[in-house]
Amino acid sequence: MNEVRSAGGGALIALRDVGKAYRRGEQVVHALDGIDLALPERGMVAIVGPSGSGKSSLLHLIGAMDRPTSGTVAVAGQVLGTLPESALTAFRRDTVGFVFQSFNLIPNLNALENVMLPMEFAGVAADERKRRATRLLAQVELSARATHRPRELSGGEQQRVAIARALANDPRLVLADEPTGNLDSKTGRLIYALLKKIAEERAVVVVTHAQSLAALADRVLHIADGRLQDEAA
Amino acid sequence: MTMLRIGARNLWRGKLRLLLVAALIGAPFFLLLVMQSIGDAVQRQTESLKQNVNNTLQLRARGSMGHVNMVGNQAILPQDALAKVKGVPHVARVEPYLLAMTPTEGHNFAMVIGVDPKDTRRLESHGEAGSPKILFGRDLAEGDLGKPVAIVGQGVAKWAGIEPQDLGSARLTLDLKRTHPVIFALDRPPLTLTVVGVYASGYVFGDMQVFMPIDTFRQAYGVADGISWLFVRADSADHLPAVERQLRAMLGSVADIISPTTVAEFQSTATAAVQRLANGGIALSAALMVVVVFFVMLLVVRERAREIGTLKAIGASDAGIVAAFLTEAVLLCAIGALAGASLFALWGGPLAQLVFGLGVSPFLPAHYSTLANSLALSPQFGAATLAVLVGAGVFAALGGSAWGVRQIVRLSPMEAIRHE
Repeated sequence: MNEVRSAGGGALIALRDVGKAYRRGEQVVHALDGIDLALPERGMVAIVGPSGSGKSSLLHLIGAMDRPTSGTVAVAGQVLGTLPESALTAFRRDTVGFVFQSFNLIPNLNALENVMLPMEFAGVAADERKRRATRLLAQVELSARATHRPRELSGGEQQRVAIARALANDPRLVLADEPTGNLDSKTGRLIYALLKKIAEERAVVVVTHAQSLAALADRVLHIADGRLQDEAA
Repeated sequence: MTMLRIGARNLWRGKLRLLLVAALIGAPFFLLLVMQSIGDAVQRQTESLKQNVNNTLQLRARGSMGHVNMVGNQAILPQDALAKVKGVPHVARVEPYLLAMTPTEGHNFAMVIGVDPKDTRRLESHGEAGSPKILFGRDLAEGDLGKPVAIVGQGVAKWAGIEPQDLGSARLTLDLKRTHPVIFALDRPPLTLTVVGVYASGYVFGDMQVFMPIDTFRQAYGVADGISWLFVRADSADHLPAVERQLRAMLGSVADIISPTTVAEFQSTATAAVQRLANGGIALSAALMVVVVFFVMLLVVRERAREIGTLKAIGASDAGIVAAFLTEAVLLCAIGALAGASLFALWGGPLAQLVFGLGVSPFLPAHYSTLANSLALSPQFGAATLAVLVGAGVFAALGGSAWGVRQIVRLSPMEAIRHE
C-alpha cells in the first residue's frame, strides 16, 4: 500500500486531493484544499503566493514535516500518510533535504559538524562523513569557514551551510522554505543560483515571495487561499 | 551512541548557560547538604548527650541521706555495693562519695565531701550541676590521694577568711566535735586541710561545700568502709531504665535509687523536637531540590523545541533525541551537584553554624549548656549521602527532561519548530 508507482505517471512527487486544516480555537482554518500535483525527478519548482496562502504548508506535507488532513501525498513511491513514525524519520533523513528560512543550524556545532549531522543519523562512517561534508562545504564555497559556529557566520553563509546539510545524505528531493527570506537581494540571488545548480541533479522545490527569484525556476506554481492557481511555466 | 555524544556535547553550548544551570541545580543541592549535615550533626550531638548528660542514678542507704554525722541520716551503703554495681551491664562509670556536714555560723552548715579526685565533684544531691568551676588555685588531682588537701566553694572561703593569694598555704580546720541541730558530734580529732583551690558553683548552697580526697575523708571521719552516695552512670540514656531495674533487683532492699527525671524529659522532648526539626529541614530541602532540578531541566528542554524540531526534520529519531536530552540532563545534574558540593565544602560549615549553630543546646536545661556547647556542630557528609542526593537529583533531572522532551518530540517537526 505504501508504494504508489503509478502516481503522477512516474513523478517523484504526487499529491492527490490533499487538504490540510488547522484548528485555531473554535475556528477551523483550511490551509490547503484539494491540491493535486505531480512533480518530476529533476528541476527547480517555485511555489509562490501571498502570505498565508498555504505554500509553506504544502512544502511541509511534501517533506513529511507535517501530516495532511485529507488526500494522499506520495514521494519517491511512498505514501507518507500511511508510514509509521520510524519510517517517516528514515524518509526525512534519506529522501529529503530541508532548507529553512531561518537556517535552523544547531548552534553548538560548527559548520562541518552541522553538515555531518544528518550523516551521523544515517550511520555513515566517521571518515566518510567528514570527507563528504568537506566536499559539500567546498561546493557552497565555505571551506574556509568549516570550523566556525553558526553565530560566527553571516546569514548568507549560514544558509549555504544549511544547503550543504540538506545535501548531506544525497537526497532525491530538496525543499527550501523561503530560503532567501532573511537575506539581502544579492545574497538571495547567489542562494538561488546554488539551488538552481543543485536542481540539475535532483528535484528542488522552493517556496518564495519573490517573483523575480521565482522566475529562475523551471516551473512556478501559484497558490492562493490554499488552492493551486493557473500554472506559469 | 551518536545521540549520547551529541547530548554530552550540548553541555558546552554556552559557558554562561552552563554556569547558570549549574548554579540553579547546585543551589538546592548546597542547601540540602547543609540541612543534611545539620541533621547529622544534631544526631551526633544527641547521641553524645545521651551518653554524657545525666545518665546518672544515685544510690544511697535506704531511708538515709547518707551523711556520716547527720542526725538520723548517718546510715551508709555497704562497701560491697560498689563491686555489685560495677558488674551491671551498661554501667559506664561508678563514683563513690562520702559525705558529712560541718557547722559554720548560726544555723548554717557546709557540706564535706570525700571523692576520688578523678571523679566528678557534684554540687547537688542529684548530681545535675556537674563539676564546679575553679576560680582560684587548682582542682584536686590524683596525686592528692591520702593528703589533707581540699578545694572549697567561695562561700566557705569567705567564711574561713581564705584569700586567693593564700591558696596552697591556707588552712581550713574542721572541728568534728562541733554540733548543730542536725549534726551530731564525732569523737574524732580536728581535721586540718590545706586549701588548694576555690571554686564557684553559681548558687549559695553549692558554694558552701568542701571537697577532699575520699581516703582523707575516711581517715578523718573514721569511716573504714561504706559509701554515702554512689553515682552510677549508664552508657546511654537509652539503657538507663534497664540499669535502674537491675540495681533495684540487686540492691533495692538496702538502697534508695534516685533516677533523674530530666533524662526522660530530655529524651521525650528535646531530642525528639530537634530530630523532628532537622528531619523536617532535610525533607523540605530535598523537596525543593527535586522541584528545582525538575523544572530547570524542563525549561532547558522547552527552550529548545525549535532545535528538537530541526533534529527531527534532518532525520534524528525520537528515541535518539530523547537519549541526547537525557544524557545532557544527567551530566548537567552531576555538574550542578558537584557545584553544590564544592560550595558546601567552601561555605557549608559557616552557613550550617549560622543556621543552627547552637545545635540542641537551646532545647536543653541551662546547666547542660557547657556540655552542649562543647559538642560543636561539625557539618560533614559521607560518600553514601552524596550518592543518595545525586541519585535523587539525577532522577528528578531525568524526570523533568523526559517529560519536557516527550511533549515536544511527539509533535511533527514543524509543530515542534513552531512550539516556541
